[in-house]
Amino acid sequence: MNGLFGAGSRALGDADAHAREGAKVVTAGPAISLDHVSCVFQSKNGGGQLALEDISLTVDQGELVCLLGPSGSGKSTLLNVVAGLVKPSSGRVRAGAEDVLGPGPDRAVVFQDAALFPWLTLEENVAFPLKLAAVPEDERNARVESLLRLVHLWHFRDRHPHELSGGMRQRGAIARALANDPAVLLLDEPFGALDAQTRELLHAEVERIHSATRKTMLFVTHSVIEAVRLADRIVLMGTRPGRILDVLTVDLPRPRHSADAEVAELALRAGAAIAREVDKVAREEEGRV
Amino acid sequence: MSESASSLRDRGKTAFLRSIVLIALWWLAARAADSPLLPSPADVAQSIWISAKSGVLFRAVGTSAARLVVGYAIALLAGVPLGALLARSRVVKNAIGPLVLGLGAVPSICWLPLAILWFGLTETAIQVVVVLGALLPIATATESAVSHVSPSIERAARTMGASGATLLFRVTLPAAVPGISAGAKLGWTFALRSLMAGELLFVSGGLGQLLETGRDMGDTALVLAVVLAVVALARVCELALFSPIDREIARRWGTANA
Ligand SMILES: Nc1ncnc2c1ncn2[C@@H]1O[C@H](COP(=O)(O)OP(=O)(O)OP(=O)(O)O)[C@@H](O)[C@H]1O
Ligand SMILES: [Mg+2]
Repeated sequence: MNGLFGAGSRALGDADAHAREGAKVVTAGPAISLDHVSCVFQSKNGGGQLALEDISLTVDQGELVCLLGPSGSGKSTLLNVVAGLVKPSSGRVRAGAEDVLGPGPDRAVVFQDAALFPWLTLEENVAFPLKLAAVPEDERNARVESLLRLVHLWHFRDRHPHELSGGMRQRGAIARALANDPAVLLLDEPFGALDAQTRELLHAEVERIHSATRKTMLFVTHSVIEAVRLADRIVLMGTRPGRILDVLTVDLPRPRHSADAEVAELALRAGAAIAREVDKVAREEEGRV
Repeated sequence: MSESASSLRDRGKTAFLRSIVLIALWWLAARAADSPLLPSPADVAQSIWISAKSGVLFRAVGTSAARLVVGYAIALLAGVPLGALLARSRVVKNAIGPLVLGLGAVPSICWLPLAILWFGLTETAIQVVVVLGALLPIATATESAVSHVSPSIERAARTMGASGATLLFRVTLPAAVPGISAGAKLGWTFALRSLMAGELLFVSGGLGQLLETGRDMGDTALVLAVVLAVVALARVCELALFSPIDREIARRWGTANA
């Protein structure tokens, strides 16, 4: 037992050291940039739905940006456009210096439902992207172990996803997403379905992973507290059409806590900024019933 | 461990008691009827013994089982790819989707006359009936299982760089395994039904023909003996093949244990 934990903290220590070195040699230029991106979904009755209208946004390397907005404001669409899973109708999307033409292992995604493969054990799930990338077995095993230790799931490596709790599944999905050392981590409401306590724990974990790996992260949420708790910057989004209302910089020291006074205060401000939009959505949905 | 063993023993015990009660009721009914149309359990047991000793029963079981295995294997090998194609290719779906649905609605025994005209009174003719009986439910279930694979599972795989055949064989099909396996089980029962119908009509060995022989000779005990043999064949396959597969799928995929 002691041996396992010992090795675990060593692996984490390595990641920390690596991150400090990495931070020094970070090259200039944004990790993600969107230039006047619009996205129209064609509906069956011929009409079009403007899910994203004229979005321009850059995310710097190592930055943690939260997309915050009411339901239907195009947060998932924006994330999927960056992931390369949805093609924008117009505009230009770049990851690093490259144009985004489709999904790629440089941009890993964590989905709301974790999307771990049910027929594989946790360990096999994390190894899966490494196998696809033809990473040799020794290296693969070492990498899977350090990732599972990073998210504190090494003891559960032989379990299948249905034998894990929701929070464990999300941590497993994060480990799997980190496997191929992506430049960017995209998270679509990863903790939306979890209870408040578990979410709080996972926030601390994301903060820790972010400071240990210095990955660029784009994190979708509709929780104002979650956004303030985690983000370097918050992108506030509005509906119909999905667009950027405002961008807030969160200049609070880390580690943060959801109960911090500054967090609560900023959350109040951000909340007020999108309250009108949330109201609008509620009114529209009531009107339709 | 000990818990599951004891619950297994309990289940065995109730099954045993149930059989005793059933046999007792059957025996009482046969006593009351006192007619050759309702033979007693002892008569049927004797009939089984005689046909087993002469080898007739085993030959019939062997013939039927061989036909079943061959026809079912063909149906499985063709049905799963067909279902996957129907789920994934718009062209294939538009071209033969309605045809598959239409054929699926026809009991496969209806094809026997045509099969006999085309292939004569051959093994091929009866295999056509078995294959058609099993193929369509397998293809339909596979199509539905593949089209219901969670989109986020496939999206996750695509973000890892999987596409084309890799995506299909390493993600989509494994994700669809519980649904495909349910279809395979359904296909098996359909294969058995089609085979029995075929053998009843088309006299050339097998359990179906033995049933016909029993009827011709007015030997009710033999007819019932063959029915019991069919039940045994179905149950043995179920317990030896499908139950372990179901348990393994439940263990790995986390589907409810049926
Ligand atoms: N595949 C699609 N086809 C058609 N319309 C779509 C599709 N995906 C999204 N939309 C529409 O685009 C708009 C934005 O959807 P999106 O899922 O990006 O919102 P969201 O901000 O993620 O909402 P939520 O918080 O509920 O997840 C919605 O009005 C939705 O109906
Ligand atoms: Mg969404």
